[in-house]
Amino acid sequence: MSSSQGLTAILEGLPYILPGIGVTMTVVGGALSMGLLLGLFLSVLHVYGNRPTRRLVGIYVWFFRGIPLLVLLFLFYFGILASLQIELSPFLVSIIVLGLISSAYQSQIIRGAILSLPEGQLKAARAIGMSDRKAIAFIVLPQALRLAIPGWTNEYTIIMKDSAVTYALGVAEIMARCNHVASRTYQHLWVYLLAGFLFLALTYVGTEVFRIVEEKVRIKGYARQEGQW
Amino acid sequence: MTNQHPVLKAENINKRYGNQEILKGVSFELNRGDIKCLIGPSGSGKSTLLHCINFLVQFDEGRIWFNGSEVNYARKHDLYAYRQKIGMIFQDFNLFDHLTALRNVQVGLVRVRKMPKKEARNRALVELERVGLKDHVMKYPAELSGGQKQRVSIARALAMDPEVMLLDEPTSALDPELIGEVHSVIQDLARGGMTMMLVTHEIGFAGSLAKEFLFMDEGVILEQGPPERILSNAECDRTREFCAKINQLHRGSG
Repeated sequence: MSSSQGLTAILEGLPYILPGIGVTMTVVGGALSMGLLLGLFLSVLHVYGNRPTRRLVGIYVWFFRGIPLLVLLFLFYFGILASLQIELSPFLVSIIVLGLISSAYQSQIIRGAILSLPEGQLKAARAIGMSDRKAIAFIVLPQALRLAIPGWTNEYTIIMKDSAVTYALGVAEIMARCNHVASRTYQHLWVYLLAGFLFLALTYVGTEVFRIVEEKVRIKGYARQEGQW
Repeated sequence: MTNQHPVLKAENINKRYGNQEILKGVSFELNRGDIKCLIGPSGSGKSTLLHCINFLVQFDEGRIWFNGSEVNYARKHDLYAYRQKIGMIFQDFNLFDHLTALRNVQVGLVRVRKMPKKEARNRALVELERVGLKDHVMKYPAELSGGQKQRVSIARALAMDPEVMLLDEPTSALDPELIGEVHSVIQDLARGGMTMMLVTHEIGFAGSLAKEFLFMDEGVILEQGPPERILSNAECDRTREFCAKINQLHRGSG
């Protein structure tokens, strides 16, 4: 198998493979956003809720962190949705399932960030007459979300890689399209190298974006931890 | 009407943590313009008492009256309104780290008192100027010295138009050379007639300011009276013992 045949396969396959980047990014973006909204809500309940509420959040997190993605995808798509006779596209189901899983992880990222804040600020907010709700919204979360950025960067890379599994439902993302091209051209080595490269590139771009955002929203006067030595 | 009542009255405040009794039936009154200073050894419950007054720490028994009417903390609206009227200064400042000095003072006006942003900004500037921080309004807490942070926190409390200020060891976390700037702000408040309750170990400063010292030990107010009497001629042995040490320390440090 010569490399020129591989390159030809890639070049001919590219117009078909590249739109997969958009699909992958939409799945990842959708799952991350959904995970953020839900995770934010869950983290606040987990930190400030009463005992039964905290327990419920704990069970939710345990459930979605403890079952493999592939199992959840099949369970939702072929199991739950099919038996309820609800028709959703594999694309949507993938976003929802990845979003639910991500919300479990993100709730713990944000919870950790909330717990790392000095407790005194909540007291000070109460002391000027703020309700707990306002104190959480205007004092706690703006700081916690900043602290959560490194954790999110990690979460992004994980969701990015996990999104490849959605090809099992037939979502036309990068992996699914590369798979098609590989089985048609028999250039598995080259096509899967391309798939790997595309994921690497997307991970790189994403983490850079997070890094820039982290720098942008950094509170003045706080030294960055790295590079201080 | 309000003149007939003490501004603040606490009766029989009890607080337990598990089996440990932190406050054992503490009562006191603050009349308008009163400045009272709580002294006593660490762990005697001074700080807990201050936190109980504005319900930052929930106590087990006891009642609190503000301007003659009892504070019903279960009614959230009343509690939030009451807390605005009781300014609280913490030992470690507790500034909001993500907000500039200006917005630390402004945020309560906008979010709690629903003041328009521009008006709130002007009010915040006035308060910051009052504590001598006109040139630092755009700095973040991490860019300020300890003394400046504590002054921002005083401005933040003043912006809510408090009728009483509670100061919990306001200078004990500060470098010695920064204590003076915070003391002078507190003196300004005293001159302006602010009603205050102060926990401090700066006996000299407190003596020049307070009308009355309350000596606390093991969760009770053992003795109260004018600073000179408490410091030099106390009735209880425990008070005398404590004050002798304090006096010694005070003389020693000049």
